Amino acid sequence: MTSKNWPVSQNGLDPSGSVSSVLLRDPANQSVDSPEYPPELARLPPGRHGLPREFVSHNQRERLIAGLAEAVAENGYAGTTIAHITRNAAVSRRTFYEHFSSKDECFIAAYDTVMTELRKRVEDAFDQEDEWPLAVRAGIEAMLEFLAAEPHLARLSMVEALVAGPVVVERYDAAIQSLAPYFAAGRKGLSKDVLAGLSPTTEEALVGGMVSLISRRIFADRTEELEALLPDLVEFTLTPYLGSAEAAKVARAA
Amino acid sequence: MASNSTTRPLPGRQQLSREFIAQHQRARIITALAQESSEQGYQQVTVADIVSRAGIARNTFYENFRSKEDCFLATQEFAMTAALERVVDAAGNFDSWAERVRAGLAAFLGYVAEEPALARTCMVEALSAGPAAVERYEKSQQAFVSLFKLGRDVSPHGGELPETLEEAIIGGVFWIVYQRLAIGEEAAIPELLPELIEFALTPYLGAEQARQVSAAASDNPRPLPES
Repeated sequence: MTSKNWPVSQNGLDPSGSVSSVLLRDPANQSVDSPEYPPELARLPPGRHGLPREFVSHNQRERLIAGLAEAVAENGYAGTTIAHITRNAAVSRRTFYEHFSSKDECFIAAYDTVMTELRKRVEDAFDQEDEWPLAVRAGIEAMLEFLAAEPHLARLSMVEALVAGPVVVERYDAAIQSLAPYFAAGRKGLSKDVLAGLSPTTEEALVGGMVSLISRRIFADRTEELEALLPDLVEFTLTPYLGSAEAAKVARAA
Repeated sequence: MASNSTTRPLPGRQQLSREFIAQHQRARIITALAQESSEQGYQQVTVADIVSRAGIARNTFYENFRSKEDCFLATQEFAMTAALERVVDAAGNFDSWAERVRAGLAAFLGYVAEEPALARTCMVEALSAGPAAVERYEKSQQAFVSLFKLGRDVSPHGGELPETLEEAIIGGVFWIVYQRLAIGEEAAIPELLPELIEFALTPYLGAEQARQVSAAASDNPRPLPES
C-alpha cells in the first residue's frame, strides 16, 4: 500500500531509513523548527490511531537509530548496550529485535543513514557550482557544516565507526574513497604537463589528508573548530591541480 | 642496552641477565600479537593465541602485560619507535630538506614492507582496537610533522602555507599506506615512493621541483597518463 500522503514519503525517505529523526533528536541540531523536518518524524503523536503499520514500523526504526546515535555519543560504541538504545528510543526491547538482530546491525543502519545524508549534502553543494574549484570548496564547506552542526553524528561516523567491527570499517573505507572522484574531476582540462605531475594516487592522498584533519578534531571533541578548517582544506586539495598561488586565492576568497 | 631484544637467547641462558630475558620475552610476545592480529584481526585474537604463538607460558604473558589491550599498546609503541628511529636515521644522512624527506619516506615505506605484520597491526588493526589505540595511531602521525615543517624554511612561500599543511600531508601518506595494507598489498608499498614524494613536496616547492626530486628517487619515471 502506498503511503504517498504521509509526510514520510513527501520527504523522499527510502526504506532504509532517514536521518531526519536522528537530526531532530540531536540536541545540537538547530533545524528542528525547519518545515523540512515535520515533528511527526521524530515521534508519533500520542494517542493517534489508524496509522499504517508500515509507518509505525518505519518510525520505530528511525527512533532506534536516533537512540543509538545518542547512546554512542554518551558511552562510546563498546559501552553502548541495547538497553541504552531502547531507553533513548522509548521502545521495548522486543521492538528493538523486530528491527535489528544486534547492536552491530543497528550501528550499521545508523552509519549508513548518516553517510547517505552527508553524501547528499556534499553532492548538492558540489553540483550547485559551475566551476570546479568553487564546487570543491562548496562540497568541503557542506561536509564541515554538517559535521559541526551534528557532533554526535560526526563522532558516530568518523570515530566510533572505526571501533565498530570489520563490516563498518570496510564501509568507512569505501565511503572515504568515494570522495576521490570529486577531486579527480579537476584533471579535466589540465595541460599534459600538469597532468604528468599528478600521480594516480593524488586523489586518494588528498582525501586521506582531508579526512585525517577532520577526524582528529572530532576525536578530540573539538568539532567547533571544523568550519575554520575550510580555507586550509581548500588550499590543500586544489594545490596539485591549480598550483599553490591559485589554490590559495580560491581558498581565501570568502 | 636492549638492542638485541629481537634475537633468540643464546644457549646457557642462566648466564644472561634477567633484564635481557625479560626484554626478549616481551619482544616475542609483541611479535606474536602482531602476527596473530594481522592474520585473524585483533578483535578475534585471544591471549591463548598469543601465548601459543610466542611459545611461552600464560604466566609469562601476564608477568609482562596486564591484558591483551595492554600488549597491543606496547606493540604499537614498539613499532612506532622503531619506524621513527629509521626515519630519523635515514633523514639525518642528508643536508637538503627535500633529500631528507625523500630518505625519511623511503625508510618509512621500507619498514612497513619489511614488517608487514607489525605495520598492519599498527595502521589497520589499531583502528578497531579501542580509543587508546586510535589515539596512539593519531599521535604516531604527529611524529612526522616536525620533519615536514622544516620545508617552510626552504619554500618560496613558506610564510603563507596553511597551518595544517603538515598534518594533511602526513594524513594523506598514512591513508595511502593504510589502504594498501588493508588489502594485503604491502609488497607494492615501496613503489609508492616517487608518488608520495611528489605529493608531499609539491605544496612547498611546486610541482616542477617536486617532480625532479621524485624522478631522482625512481629509475622508472611514470609514463604520461592517457587523455
